[in-house]
Amino acid sequence: MKQKAPKKKATKAQKREAIWALCFIAPTIIGLIVLNFYPAFDTLWQSFCKTGDFGKGNTFIGFENYAKVFASGEVWHSLWNTIKYTLIEVPFGVVIALILAVFLNKKLKGTSLFRTIFFLPMVCAPAAVAMVWKWLYNQQFGLLNNVLGTDIAWISDPKLAWISIGIIGVWSVIGYNMVLFISGLQEIPGDYYEAAEIDGATGIKQFFHITVPLLSPTTFFIVQTRIIGALTIFDLMFMVMDKTNLALENTQSIVYLFYDYAFTQGNKGYGATIVIFLVVFIMIVTFILQRAEKKLVYHP
Amino acid sequence: MKKIVALLLAILMVASLMVACGGSKSDSGSDKKDSGSKASSITVNIWDSNQQKGIQEIADKWTETSGVKVNVEVVDWDNYWTLLEAGASGGTMPDVFWMHSNTAQMYMENDILLDLTSYVEKDSSIDLSKYYEGVKNLYTRSDGKIFALPKDHDTIALLYNKAIFDKYGVEYPTDKWTWEDMYNAAKKITDDSKGEIYGMAMNTSNNQDGWYNLIYAYGGNVVGEDHKSTKIGSDESKAGMEMMRKLLTVGAPQSVVAETGTDSLFQSNKVGMITQGSWMINAFYTAEHHADYAWALLPYADRNGNGTCEKEERWSAYNGLGWAASAKVKDPESCYSLIAYLCGEEGQKLQAEKGVTMGGMTGVSDAFANAFEGMDVSPFIKAEEFSLYFRPYTRNTTVWEDALQQKGAFLDPWQKPDDADLMAKACENAQKIIEDAIAKE
Repeated sequence: MKQKAPKKKATKAQKREAIWALCFIAPTIIGLIVLNFYPAFDTLWQSFCKTGDFGKGNTFIGFENYAKVFASGEVWHSLWNTIKYTLIEVPFGVVIALILAVFLNKKLKGTSLFRTIFFLPMVCAPAAVAMVWKWLYNQQFGLLNNVLGTDIAWISDPKLAWISIGIIGVWSVIGYNMVLFISGLQEIPGDYYEAAEIDGATGIKQFFHITVPLLSPTTFFIVQTRIIGALTIFDLMFMVMDKTNLALENTQSIVYLFYDYAFTQGNKGYGATIVIFLVVFIMIVTFILQRAEKKLVYHP
Repeated sequence: MKKIVALLLAILMVASLMVACGGSKSDSGSDKKDSGSKASSITVNIWDSNQQKGIQEIADKWTETSGVKVNVEVVDWDNYWTLLEAGASGGTMPDVFWMHSNTAQMYMENDILLDLTSYVEKDSSIDLSKYYEGVKNLYTRSDGKIFALPKDHDTIALLYNKAIFDKYGVEYPTDKWTWEDMYNAAKKITDDSKGEIYGMAMNTSNNQDGWYNLIYAYGGNVVGEDHKSTKIGSDESKAGMEMMRKLLTVGAPQSVVAETGTDSLFQSNKVGMITQGSWMINAFYTAEHHADYAWALLPYADRNGNGTCEKEERWSAYNGLGWAASAKVKDPESCYSLIAYLCGEEGQKLQAEKGVTMGGMTGVSDAFANAFEGMDVSPFIKAEEFSLYFRPYTRNTTVWEDALQQKGAFLDPWQKPDDADLMAKACENAQKIIEDAIAKE
């Protein structure tokens, strides 16, 4: 995206054009400033404050909140929980979606029906999805235990709950990833496959030597956006885990912790600090990914 | 020409956006100024959908005389407080709404609520001495200003499933039951059914309607009279929680109650007994197997060992909501008038007759016992003959209340009820949690 504009004095026409351009993007810009930038900077400011009730009487306390966050085992534990969730959701969500996309990209009967079915979870409200899964997982009356004839505490066994939550995440995200993959697949010219077939490459060889490399820009995009999405996960834990659930400590994500402090306990300053901590973490991850992009993504 | 039109359009777009954004703010600003104008409708927010119908009916009666429409809207408990706080911090608040002991102090101290003092003084129909002390005091600030009128009060009773008691040949709970008797009955049910059915169930989140009552029955307390201290780590409280621990050994394990609420377990015939607050009556009255359900007084702790229940040996928590209005309402006169009707004699009697809740005013709740045909709910009213304690609260109750339900506090002994030391340790941890939280307030 780096485009070096030649430094020339703008002509009258260009100036006018620029003004017009500003006019047209003004609604969006103003919206962004009011709804995104202002709250973001306000959050940053609050993270340095001991906040009062109802947003009144904030007092500046410097890095006190940050010192507390770094010393808090709870925050690090939640960060680890979030990373564990990401480690389930992203790889499985991507691999399964890719396989499905390859199959559904073929000219089979009923592809559009299957595409719709796989995409459906995206259409459902995440909270509703979480509620349904919560009932499926229920140890006493859940469908899962009834069908399997087991007595497993899917969501209240601290060793198991994080996987159960991860499965919901994978299930909800497959459809979206798949659609992106399909659009990526359709951009790969058919000639490559024809040529490979004439040379005697099998379907699996074609997949690994043509599809995977040529799809890598799409894959990279999906991986990157999903990592950010997974690191900011909140609704699943919030809906599925009750306050008194034994496994809450081992599943609560960092945004959940933020919600708990900022909105349940009314400690907005500390909550803001947790969020800033997460933002910085995501920035670092994104930076590393961007660096890795050149090596991982195949540019023909 | 075209350009001018385009420019005008662009300006219009920007302007309309800015107006839309600023609209709500300038509205609430002008609300303050023209406080004399009469509103055509009042928005009421509550969190209990069980009460919506009844309250709307009572409010409609008020509309008949005042001509002001009332819309009662339900927002569930968790979102209620998030929305209300957002509204108080600079958005739009409902006109009239419920206050609760968890947060009342914070709202009163920040002048978020309409000061009702002068209205109450002028109003001869409101006699403050008629209301429950604890509820009234809760909504009166330390400087004597009144910010809400008592809407109701609630008490706790024991709910049992007659069918389960019959099946295992256990005698029904009586007024003479001690907590020890409850343990024996629960044990028999759990043992005889080989764990298919649990004698009782209680989650750490069942505090007001659950384990708080044991602490008080054994002479301890959760928060002292001054709302700035606690004795939850004392020997008395430990004795109460030791009894609780015994009950847990014969009750539904924590892994079960964490996933399914005790009320749902009870309604699916998985549990023989639970303790419940009077605000839940309607849920059980309208349940599928309601004919099997019956209420009894909470058991007592025979501390002096004389075999009878003294007044201070049986304790039930009581709590009361308050009707409050936003300090920023357009028409405070009408809002007060609605509150005064809901909390006045007529409104309070209607509330009890319709079985919405018991009254915040004393002496109006007898009709409540008759509101549920075929179900005897008198134990809730009889509980008042013994000792009542007001639901423990401090300035920011949620902080320690949540912490008590989780790991590091009572969730640990709840998981391993066989370990008596763990429960004693949890009481000591709880002492520290509450003290730390109060220190930070």
